[in-house]
Amino acid sequence: MIISLGYMVLALAFLLSIYGLVIVIFGVIKKSPAFVESARLSLILVFPMVTISAAILVFLLLSDRFDVAYVFSVSSRDMPVYLKLTALWGGQEGSLLFWSWLLAGFSGVLTTKKFRKEIDLLPWSLMVAFILLVFFLGLNVFMATPFTRFWHYLDGGRVLSVFQPSSAWPLTPQDGQGLNPLLRHPGMIWHPPALYLGFVGFVIPFALGIATLITKRHDGDLVEKSRPWTLTAWVFLTLGLVLGMRWAYDVLGWGGYWGWDPVEIAALMPWLSATAFIHTALIHRKQARFTRWNFSLIILTFSLVIFGTFVTRSGVLSSVHTFAGSDIGPAMFGITSLVFLGGLGLLIFRWGDFRSAQEIEFGFSRVVLTLFSNLVLLSILMVCFLGVVYPIFSELFTGTQVTVGPAWYESITGPMFLLLLLLMGLCPLAAWSVSRLAKSRRRMMILLPLSLLVPLLTWLFGEVKDLYALVALWLAGLGGLVILGDYVSAVILTGRGANTNFVKALWQPIQKNHRRYGGLLVHLGIVLMSLGIIGLEGLFQETQVTLERNERVRLGDYQLTFEGIDQFSDNTGINTTQAVLTIHRDDSPGGALYPSREVYTNIGMAVTIPGIKSTLARDLYAILVDWQPEMADQATFRIFLNPLVNWLWIGSGALTLGTVIAVLPNPKMRTTPK
Amino acid sequence: MDKSIPIRYNDTILCLKEIFKGINMDNNEKTGLSSNQIKFMVSGGLFIIAVIVLIISATKSSAEFFLTVDELLSSQSEYQGQNLRVSGAVLGDSIQFDPETGLLHFTIAHIPADDELTRSDGELSEVLHQAVIDPDNPRLAVVYEGAKPDMLRDEAQAILTGQLNSEGVFAAEELLLKCPSKYEEALPEQAE
Repeated sequence: MIISLGYMVLALAFLLSIYGLVIVIFGVIKKSPAFVESARLSLILVFPMVTISAAILVFLLLSDRFDVAYVFSVSSRDMPVYLKLTALWGGQEGSLLFWSWLLAGFSGVLTTKKFRKEIDLLPWSLMVAFILLVFFLGLNVFMATPFTRFWHYLDGGRVLSVFQPSSAWPLTPQDGQGLNPLLRHPGMIWHPPALYLGFVGFVIPFALGIATLITKRHDGDLVEKSRPWTLTAWVFLTLGLVLGMRWAYDVLGWGGYWGWDPVEIAALMPWLSATAFIHTALIHRKQARFTRWNFSLIILTFSLVIFGTFVTRSGVLSSVHTFAGSDIGPAMFGITSLVFLGGLGLLIFRWGDFRSAQEIEFGFSRVVLTLFSNLVLLSILMVCFLGVVYPIFSELFTGTQVTVGPAWYESITGPMFLLLLLLMGLCPLAAWSVSRLAKSRRRMMILLPLSLLVPLLTWLFGEVKDLYALVALWLAGLGGLVILGDYVSAVILTGRGANTNFVKALWQPIQKNHRRYGGLLVHLGIVLMSLGIIGLEGLFQETQVTLERNERVRLGDYQLTFEGIDQFSDNTGINTTQAVLTIHRDDSPGGALYPSREVYTNIGMAVTIPGIKSTLARDLYAILVDWQPEMADQATFRIFLNPLVNWLWIGSGALTLGTVIAVLPNPKMRTTPK
Repeated sequence: MDKSIPIRYNDTILCLKEIFKGINMDNNEKTGLSSNQIKFMVSGGLFIIAVIVLIISATKSSAEFFLTVDELLSSQSEYQGQNLRVSGAVLGDSIQFDPETGLLHFTIAHIPADDELTRSDGELSEVLHQAVIDPDNPRLAVVYEGAKPDMLRDEAQAILTGQLNSEGVFAAEELLLKCPSKYEEALPEQAE
């Protein structure tokens, strides 16, 4: 009963979207505000309907309704409640419903007061939202329905259907298959939703961008209006990527965080173009430039978002993220092409209507630096794209498939990311236009030599000899120093003025210009994250050893002693084998590592869980590779010493905080002149 | 209004030019280039050239030929020492870990060149199963230094990156595994 209800509400939401699309087209043709208003109201209604449908699916998951095929495939009785909840996005049908739900929610934003006032734009942005909704809800209703149930006939025949076929009875399995063990991790709570929020959030700037292009509006107001949503989507996308890294680092057990897997690249590509967009949108606000370029970037970003969903959900590419094949590939390919080609065609058609007046002067200015960082970001994007399509093209032209792996991506994008770090570091020193340089030159004379201390000291005391890593550390140091220098001088300037106290002086620059300091904090976050990445890419040490009980191994300053192996099982059929490695540094004890391996006996799968001892300076990270099952006196470990990793996670926190500060509405002028 | 079509056409060309130039997005309609524009083009051009050089050198040193086991075994000498990527079905009985050397040995069986774009999971597991049970199927010995991945098991699809050594054993540097999930193919076994 409730299952059919969930399906019917979903189908109704789909029909309502079709109605909205038709009526908004009529509204445009007949120039009738009443029709457009009707479409607006139906868009408002779609969200609660999809919410009901999604809530019903969550209810089915929580109440172990294994007669529903989706619940059967992703949930089981022994799973904790939080995992049953996350099973909503654990499989294809559910995650597509989740996608549609977010899409309906974000589209609802387009109907709010702020955007409703733009009466000429409204029908077009509604139209974009409805086209997307019709597509994704259609997928949910016809091709990937999460409400399909099991039925069986008297003769033993079985069938999958939403509604009861005649002379068939419901079939209720005792237990479900449960979520793939690799997905049973707290990371499952945050990583997929963050990524999806990031993906879908770009629908707002995209819909407004398309509407602006169609109506030939010239004011930069829309970029400004969609700014909070763009930044919100961006920060969720960033967090989604970082959480994925963290998850891989904690569970997948190869000591890594990023494997240049096609699905990872598919999520990185929209991040790159969105990052470029945020920066040129900023210049657009300041100087009314880059109008067309902004349109190009937002169309590119949203196309890449849809492409990313397509890649993740269709199983086109083999990777850790594709857990099932599917039949929705062609349909997803269709909508990706529609978004990209439709947007591109419209852009070319309207190209002449959006001209910028002035020429940009070449020199050391923020505009030029931003322009170059755009070039670098998009070049990285091109390299990513090239890497993904390389196998297809090489086979086309030479007959043999040639593929590229992590080494290829790293050797090309490494220097480009460093260049990006340099541009980011220099940017606060420059003024918006070329002419004003004197002040920043003085600051540069102080900060440049100071920043050289970072690699110098690491070289002298940190025993780092790798030139590449030293250059990277220098650039990170420069970026951090410039930002701190900027902030400190602003604080001093405030403190010198009125009789303000210290705390107030610290806060006032941020309050006065929260966008600038929010942005700088985001950059500081990126600098900190780059420290973690430098540690993982350039400074790590690793070893693989087989140890007898009580035998020691040295890695860096540390000695690790193999103390033994414990084996235990819990009532949910998970057998755990856990090794104990005690840590000594310079003969003083420093805790222990517990690398383990969990075997899910009822599914026949195993998960390797590394033992990690984490400090701000470095992580000790051990993987249990193999052991003697009978005696447990000998085991093989792979041990990593990863410096600075923690800064990768801390940096993402700073970045999030910075975005929040930048997005906050402008504080009202509270202090009235006395 | 009669002029609108040629203007559109010109704009389209302009747009394409700018995309290829990739630098100066806000074109003015001067004919000829100012020294300012030349500076942009030169610096942007230098960067693009550097990227292209990077791509070419990386491709030369680390691009891999993607082969089937059959293709690799039929012309072993040609591919020796090259960067290769091979895909095959894992034989469960062959998996062996040597704690002394830290080396993992196993054997993969030939599977046909993949058209994964069209192959659904059910079919993939059937292909893998057939590949493993057929004793005449070409087989390739693999050695890998590192932890035994969780998904390495009988009838998994292994995608290996590495080189063929002089003994005809594939020395893998990277292991990617894909296990067809049995979820899609069916209905539950037990019923109330």
